[in-house]
Amino acid sequence: MLNWLFNLEKKRKRLLDKAPAGPVRDYLASPFPDRNSSIDDTALLALDFETSGLDVKKDHLLSVGYVELRQNRILLDTAHHQIIHSKRDMSGDNISIHHITHDQAAQGQTLAKTVESILRQLQGKVLLAHHAAVEIGFLQQACKTLYGMAPVIPAIDTMQLARRRLERQQQPCKANQLRLFNLRKQYGLPAYQAHNALMDAIATAELFLAQLAHGNYRKPPPLKNFLLHP
Amino acid sequence: MEIELQEIHDFIAAIPPFDRLPENILHSLTSALRIQYVRRGGDIPTGNDATPTLHILRQGAMALYSGKGNLMGMLGEGDICTSFCAAETMPDFYIKATEDTLLYSIPCDQLSHLMEDDPSVLHFIHHSAAQRLKEAVSAMQEQSGSSLLHTYAGDICRGELVTTAPGASIRDGARLMTEHGVSSLILMQDNQPVGLVTDRDIRQRCVAKGLSFDSPLADIMTRDIISLGASESLFDALLVMTREQVHHLPVFDDSGLKGIITTTDIMRQEGLSAVHLTGTIRKAESLEALIDASRMLPRIQLQLTTMGADLHHVGYAVTAITEAITRRLIELAEADLGPAPAPYAWIAAGSQARREQTCHSDQDNGLIISDRSQPGDDAWFASLAKYVNDGLNACGYVYCPGDVMASNSKWRQPAAVWQGYFEQWIEQPEPMALMLSSIFFDLRVIHGETKLLDKIRKNIMKKAPNNQLFLAHMVRNALSHRPPLGFFRDFVLVHDGQHDDTLDLKHSGLVPIIDMARIYALAEGLNEISTEDRLGAAAGTPSLSKGGAANLLDAFEFISNLRLEHQAAQIREGETPDNFLSPKQLSKLEREHLKDAFKVVQTMQATLEMRYQTDRI
Repeated sequence: MLNWLFNLEKKRKRLLDKAPAGPVRDYLASPFPDRNSSIDDTALLALDFETSGLDVKKDHLLSVGYVELRQNRILLDTAHHQIIHSKRDMSGDNISIHHITHDQAAQGQTLAKTVESILRQLQGKVLLAHHAAVEIGFLQQACKTLYGMAPVIPAIDTMQLARRRLERQQQPCKANQLRLFNLRKQYGLPAYQAHNALMDAIATAELFLAQLAHGNYRKPPPLKNFLLHP
Repeated sequence: MEIELQEIHDFIAAIPPFDRLPENILHSLTSALRIQYVRRGGDIPTGNDATPTLHILRQGAMALYSGKGNLMGMLGEGDICTSFCAAETMPDFYIKATEDTLLYSIPCDQLSHLMEDDPSVLHFIHHSAAQRLKEAVSAMQEQSGSSLLHTYAGDICRGELVTTAPGASIRDGARLMTEHGVSSLILMQDNQPVGLVTDRDIRQRCVAKGLSFDSPLADIMTRDIISLGASESLFDALLVMTREQVHHLPVFDDSGLKGIITTTDIMRQEGLSAVHLTGTIRKAESLEALIDASRMLPRIQLQLTTMGADLHHVGYAVTAITEAITRRLIELAEADLGPAPAPYAWIAAGSQARREQTCHSDQDNGLIISDRSQPGDDAWFASLAKYVNDGLNACGYVYCPGDVMASNSKWRQPAAVWQGYFEQWIEQPEPMALMLSSIFFDLRVIHGETKLLDKIRKNIMKKAPNNQLFLAHMVRNALSHRPPLGFFRDFVLVHDGQHDDTLDLKHSGLVPIIDMARIYALAEGLNEISTEDRLGAAAGTPSLSKGGAANLLDAFEFISNLRLEHQAAQIREGETPDNFLSPKQLSKLEREHLKDAFKVVQTMQATLEMRYQTDRI
C-alpha cells in the first residue's frame, strides 16, 4: 500500500513526460498535494457525476457537480454544476432518477469542455467522492477518449473510509449501509431532497467532514491516512 | 448561485431576517456560505484567526455560555448565532455544540458587504435586543389598523358646535337642538363651557319630572362635564363612555372647546358593545342578569383585540366591566342587607387595580371599614363580602386561590388595622408575608369612601421609599419570576437548562415587569397604579433610567399583545382563554422578538438585583 502511495507522485511524473500538450498535461504538470501534509491543509474537490449507467465503456456522463473544501470548510462560492451535452438515447428510467431531460442534455456543454474544466479544478487538489471508483473511472475513460491518455488521480473515497471504520470495529457491513444517504443519516446530517450532481457532491463533502470530526483526532492526521487504495 | 443549490437557498430564505431579502441578495448569500461540521462537545470554530463569523444552524444544537459557565441560551435548527458578529458588545461568552452540528457560516464582514442595500438585516444582527424590540413594537403598532385607534377626537368632532347660555329656557334649547339636528347643547358663560344638556336630560329631568319648559337650561344641565382632549383617539372616547356611562363627550384642544363626540359617531366607526354592556350591567336586577351580562366579556375582549386594541385599551375596558359588575353586586347586596352601618371602601387589588385585567381573572379584593365602626358591624360587612365574592365567582371571576378576598376576615378590617398591616410589611419585612401581600401595593377603590384608602396610601408612600430593607425584600420577591432564556426547538428554555412545553406569558413574561414597575413606584413614592403609568412616571428618576423605562414599556407591550392575540384565538375557537402559549404557535420572528423582550427584562432584573444587594438579605 505504501508502495502505491509513493508511486502516485512517481507515476504522475512519468505520465507527464509522455502526455500530449493539452488539458491532461496541464493537470499533470502541477504536483499532487504532499501526502504527509495534514488533511486540514489539503485542498479537496468533492465531485459527483450523474451517468447513464455504471459501465465506463458503454455508459456516458450526463452531468457533473463539484465544490472545494479548504480548512475543513465547504466553500459554496466554488460550487459548480454542469449538464454535459449528449445526443445519445437515454432510457426513461434514468431520467426519473437524475431528472435530466433529452432537451437539457442536448443543450449541455461538450464533454471536452467539461473535462477540461474539471482537470483545471483538480490541479493541486485531491478528488473527494463517494464510491470514487465511478468518478475516477469515468473521468479517466473520458480523458482516454479525448486525449488518448488517462491521468492518475489522487482521491479520497468516503465509502471506503466508512468500510474501513466498520472493519476496524470488526462490525459486519449490512446491505445498503455504505450508501451515502444511510451514512449521512448515521452522522445526523440532513436528508437533502434534491438529487443532482452538485448536491450529491456537497452531501459527500459534508459526510467527509463528519467522518473527520468523529475520528476524534488529537491533531489533524496526514493526507496519506485517507487516500484511496486502488 | 447555481440553481442546484436551491435547497440550501430555501432553507436560508425561510429564516428571519433573511426572509425579507430580495432574491438576488439571497442568491449571493447562499453562494457565499461555508459549511462546517462540529462534533458534539466541540467548540464553535471562530475561524483561523477568530474572523467574526455568523453561523446558521442547519442541523444539531449549540449552547451559549457566559464566561462564568452559566447557560445563556440554546440554538437549534434554523437558529442564527450572531454572537460572534457583535462580539464587542457581548460580555465574555463561549459556545459549544451539544449535538453533532452542521453549520452554514459566513464572515460578518462579507455579510455586511452583501447586505449593503438592505440595512434591516444588519440592524437585526448588530442592534441590541432593546433596539430590535423597539422596532418590532412600532411595526406592530403601525399594523394594527383599527380606525378607532387611528382616528382622533379632534378630527371627527368637526361639525357645527351648538351652544347657548345656561339662562336660556329649556324650550329655546330644544328648539335650537331641533333646528341644528343635534342631540346635545353646550352651555357657555363668559366664553367658558359650564354645562351640557342632552336629549335625555330633557326627557328625564324635565318632561318626566313635569318641569316647566320655561325653566332655564341650567336646571337640567350636567355640570361636571366629562371631556376628551382633541389628540385622544376614538378608542379613548369609547373607554371613557364605557366607564362613565355617558353618550356625549365634549372635545377640547389648546384653544378651548372644539366640538362634541357622541356614541353615534363611534358607532359609525365601529362596534359599541362595551358601552352597551356596562349599561346593561347597571340596570341588572338580579344575579342571573349579571351572570348573563358577564358571559359577553370574552366576546368583547375578542372584538376589541380584533379592532387592534392593545393591553392599555383592552385592560381598561375589561376592568371597567368588572368594576360595573362589582358595583352592581354591592348595590344589590345593600338593597338586600339595608344600609351599611359604617362608611367603607370596597377595594380591588392586583390586575383589577392596575386596570390590566383580561378575560375573567381571579378576584383579589378587600374591605376597608371606617374606624368609627362598632364591633357588631362586622356581620353586615361579612354578609356583603360573601354576597359579592360569591356573585363575582358566579360571574366567572373565580375565588382567589390565595383567599385574598373581602370574605376572609383578615382582608375585611378597619382602616387602622390595614394601616398596621402596611406598617408591618414595610418596617419588618418578612419574605413570605411580602410574597403574599405584594398585590396589596396595587390598590384601587371600586366602591365607597375613597378617602379611606387615600390616607393609607399616603402613609405607604411616605414610608416605603426610605426603607431599603423593605425594598430589597420586594426586589427579591420580584426576582422569583424570571423570564426564560429563550427557545430551543419547540421548547421553552428555562434557567437550569430545563425545557418547558409551554410559555407562561403571565408569570414569566408580564409579572416580572409588573413587579419591577411596582418597586420603582414604591422606591420613588409614586401614586401611579398601572404598570405603564408607573414606568412612565418612574422614567428618569434615580430608580429607573429613561432608556430602561422605554425598553420595559416595549417589552410589556409586546408580551401583552401576544397574550391578547393568543386569547383572542382561543375565544374564537370557543376555548377558555389562558396564558399558556406553545412555542409551536409562535413564528420564528415572534420568537426572536420575545427573546429580545426577555433579554430586556433580564437586564433590568440584574440591575435591581445589584442595586439592592438581594443576595445579602
